[in-house]
Amino acid sequence: MSTQSIVTKIALDALVSLNMELPEDKQVPVAEDTNLFGNEAVLDSLSLVSVIVDVEGGVSDAFSKHVALTDDEAMSQTVSPFTNVKTLVAYIVAKLEEG
Amino acid sequence: MSIPLESILKGSFVCLQPLRVDDAEITFGWRHSDRAKLLNMGAQTLDQQRSWIASRPESERNFIITLQSGDPIGMLSLGDIDLVNSRAEPGRFLIGEEEKVRGIPVAAEAMFLLYQFAFEQCKLRRLFGKVASDNRRMIKWQLFMGMQKEGCLRQHYFIDGHFQDAIIFGLLEEEYRKVATPRLQAMIKAGHHPAVH
Repeated sequence: MSTQSIVTKIALDALVSLNMELPEDKQVPVAEDTNLFGNEAVLDSLSLVSVIVDVEGGVSDAFSKHVALTDDEAMSQTVSPFTNVKTLVAYIVAKLEEG
Repeated sequence: MSIPLESILKGSFVCLQPLRVDDAEITFGWRHSDRAKLLNMGAQTLDQQRSWIASRPESERNFIITLQSGDPIGMLSLGDIDLVNSRAEPGRFLIGEEEKVRGIPVAAEAMFLLYQFAFEQCKLRRLFGKVASDNRRMIKWQLFMGMQKEGCLRQHYFIDGHFQDAIIFGLLEEEYRKVATPRLQAMIKAGHHPAVH
């Protein structure tokens, strides 16, 4: 399984976990093109933090490396890592491949 | 020193405005929404809500969260402000208008404004609070913001038809500066970040 596949699964699992905490009518689409935060986003702050905590924890467990999703580097990207699941995965994979 | 008087706390997305009796109707509605089911039971009638707001003690500062447009979207409090022991308890945190705040870091900025009020204006050393154990999103939220888990009160609440533990959290001033401030500022910055789809 490639790094990208593993990280994608971690991110989608975080959305599944979030949905377990949300009522039926507030469920979030579990898909790679789900917009996370910003324009046309589906998450509020509390839900975004839930995803961040689960993804940071999942990545740390899978790769024994901490990737911070709310540091200055993440926030200074041209395209926000939180635009959608794909951009989040791409940012994490790039950080992991930095070594 | 006395507790700073209520004033409007301004951020880039939201403001915290002192809670008034006139806010009883909207806050009563929020307290009885699905979103509030994991909170303690509140007033059962609108008159009780008005009375509750009117009777807030000097040791509390209660706020309505508004967007910059002035639209009210939630509530937040700093309670049990104790200047002798230099501590207080944030609480009654509720975003009542979920649809208006998707993609906007209103919860992050509202909490950051409250922390600034507590640590910068009130000069407190410590904040603490309790969260029902079923409220997992709020537990993650507290941990993300640097709160440390300090204990557990077993079967402390009867909420949503069953007994739940109360998880005790605490945040010291140095944790506010080193952990909470950069994380909350990052969340706020994410709200300013142009998304490209």
